[in-house]
Amino acid sequence: MKNKTRRRALLAVLALLAAAGFFASLLTGPVKTTPGDLWRLVSGRSQEQAVIFLDLRLSRAVLAFLVGASLALSGAILQGYFQNPMADPFVVGVSSGASLGAVAALALGFNVVFFGFSGQSLLAFISGLGIVSLVYLLSLRKGIFKIETLLLTGIAAGALASALTSFLLFMRSDSFDQAVFWLLGSFQLAGWKEVGAVAPYLAVSLAASAWLAKDMNLLAMGDETAQALGCPVRRVRKAFLVISSLLAAISVSVSGIIGFVGLVVPHWIRLLIGPDHRRLFPQAALAGGTFLLYCDLLARTILPAELPIGVITAAVGAPFFLYLLNQKR
Amino acid sequence: MRDPSPLGPRRLSLPLRSASCENQVASGWGDRTKPFPFSAIIALLLLSMLGVGVPFAAVGPFSADGTPARQEVVRDDLGRPFALPERTPTRIVSMAPNITEILFALGLGPEVVGVTRFCDYPPEALAVAKIGGLVDPNIEIIQSLRPGLVIAFRGNPLRIVDRLRDLGSPVFVLDIGGGLDELYPLIAKIGLVTRKDREAEALSTKLRARQQAVEQALGVVDRKPRVFVILRGQGLWTCGGESYLNDIIARSGAVNIAAAVPKKWVLYGRERIVRDNPDAVFILAKSESDFAGARAWLSGEARLGSLTAVAANRVYFLDENAASRFGPRLVDILDLIARTLHPERFGGRP
Repeated sequence: MKNKTRRRALLAVLALLAAAGFFASLLTGPVKTTPGDLWRLVSGRSQEQAVIFLDLRLSRAVLAFLVGASLALSGAILQGYFQNPMADPFVVGVSSGASLGAVAALALGFNVVFFGFSGQSLLAFISGLGIVSLVYLLSLRKGIFKIETLLLTGIAAGALASALTSFLLFMRSDSFDQAVFWLLGSFQLAGWKEVGAVAPYLAVSLAASAWLAKDMNLLAMGDETAQALGCPVRRVRKAFLVISSLLAAISVSVSGIIGFVGLVVPHWIRLLIGPDHRRLFPQAALAGGTFLLYCDLLARTILPAELPIGVITAAVGAPFFLYLLNQKR
Repeated sequence: MRDPSPLGPRRLSLPLRSASCENQVASGWGDRTKPFPFSAIIALLLLSMLGVGVPFAAVGPFSADGTPARQEVVRDDLGRPFALPERTPTRIVSMAPNITEILFALGLGPEVVGVTRFCDYPPEALAVAKIGGLVDPNIEIIQSLRPGLVIAFRGNPLRIVDRLRDLGSPVFVLDIGGGLDELYPLIAKIGLVTRKDREAEALSTKLRARQQAVEQALGVVDRKPRVFVILRGQGLWTCGGESYLNDIIARSGAVNIAAAVPKKWVLYGRERIVRDNPDAVFILAKSESDFAGARAWLSGEARLGSLTAVAANRVYFLDENAASRFGPRLVDILDLIARTLHPERFGGRP
């Protein structure tokens, strides 16, 4: 049971890191605060810093955590789905597609509410799903995915979507900050409203992926074997595609494109606890949340002005991607 | 030349209306002491999935729970309601350099507690706490200044402005104008929301008098020099027909060669400059030494060096900060351009 102790140790370490990350996030910011201030707020003795601690820093940390968890879960699903450790919502093009949808919704003034979806998340979801389906169809050859085709198609489709996003943004004159937000991601505007927009979908997706994790394990043996073992392959595949696009789309619609989280995190976790998706999904989500929490902390503190968080995640993730690519050869 | 249209000092197009006071709404999370119970979060999430509005967003600016004191409500340049304070607010945050300049000109300097990192005029503004830049103001810093009034500008990210409002700060958003005539209403609006109406009127009167002095000195100009304004960035940027600099050039008895382009700022191709061959060139620069560098670059450029303006050394310096901010110093710029191009009309030698 060496594996089991390992899993537990990882879980404990991650929980500890996440807690420390939340604590650090609460105390870090342009306004100087001390643990004493936080204690005075928690114990109800002072309301002075309530807005800064709760409305600004806590909501931001929670959102970063949820988005990180969503992206990592989405990445874990896509990696299992394409049976390829290099798949991730950014590489496969879902994120760029989702951001195109979100920006199009803004540009068109499309703001209906449909089943709790804002118009923005709805279009983000649809175009994200559209892109990933396109990539899926283009890279499927005789029932197998060619890795190169998958990556190249995803990158090309993502670049196209990003170009269209830029076009929509530059059509409007006052949109420089918007372009940075949508193309590089930021939690600067995070609030409880955004947390409320992400949390339910993440919760449902976590539950659904836990439910289907066994089938994902079967898919790893090949579609035909899985089918023979009683897994409804086509339905499961559809469900996973929808879940992963949904997660990526919801993340993008609150925080812009944040690349590479879904690539790096599930990979690390798989190295640590093995490829069983029943454990991988929840642990990857926890690790992804923790990872992005720290990335956001860095984005806020490295420079006097805030960095877009995509810069940080790319700085960590892109070299890792290159390393994986090199290993493949 | 355009006719100086004399505006009455109180010709303000602000739709005013009365409403009961209720604007001091904090977002529901600001005053929470106990941690939110987890089960409630789950319930909220389920509600939000059913398309039911989550209560975070439910607190609108008009949920009446305050005392029903009568208070005037005006609308800002985004059309959002703004409850006029009864007296001059203390702790004012300015989110753009031109707003800072106007606030200081109205004598509100001591009340200003936050400005952007670009606010360097008047020099006193340098000593005020920095809230970040125009597109990246920091919500947390602004919030920590406990502002009594935030004056934002249309170019600030709308989402940040909205967030500040949601957090309970009174925010008034101003657009910038397309011409000198719109400067006076802008000053009047700032005077209105800061309750410095008389000071604003006095400032406008003073500025308008200087503007009229320039326009009178110029009289009718028959031969208008054709002017090109350079703002060096990635390429040759200039002011198009919709910019206030275009208006100021027209008022100084000159013609902007890029006036036909219906934009505020335009990337102007070199070929077009050579074709238009302007009589004078103004370079927006941060300092005299930047200007000297830009002028040297201009005469060194193969195709631009042969322009009439460059060959005849009619290349002039404009203070970038004064000329690119929609504030009181635009009148200085008007005066400067008019005197540079038509020295004979101001008692100088041609």
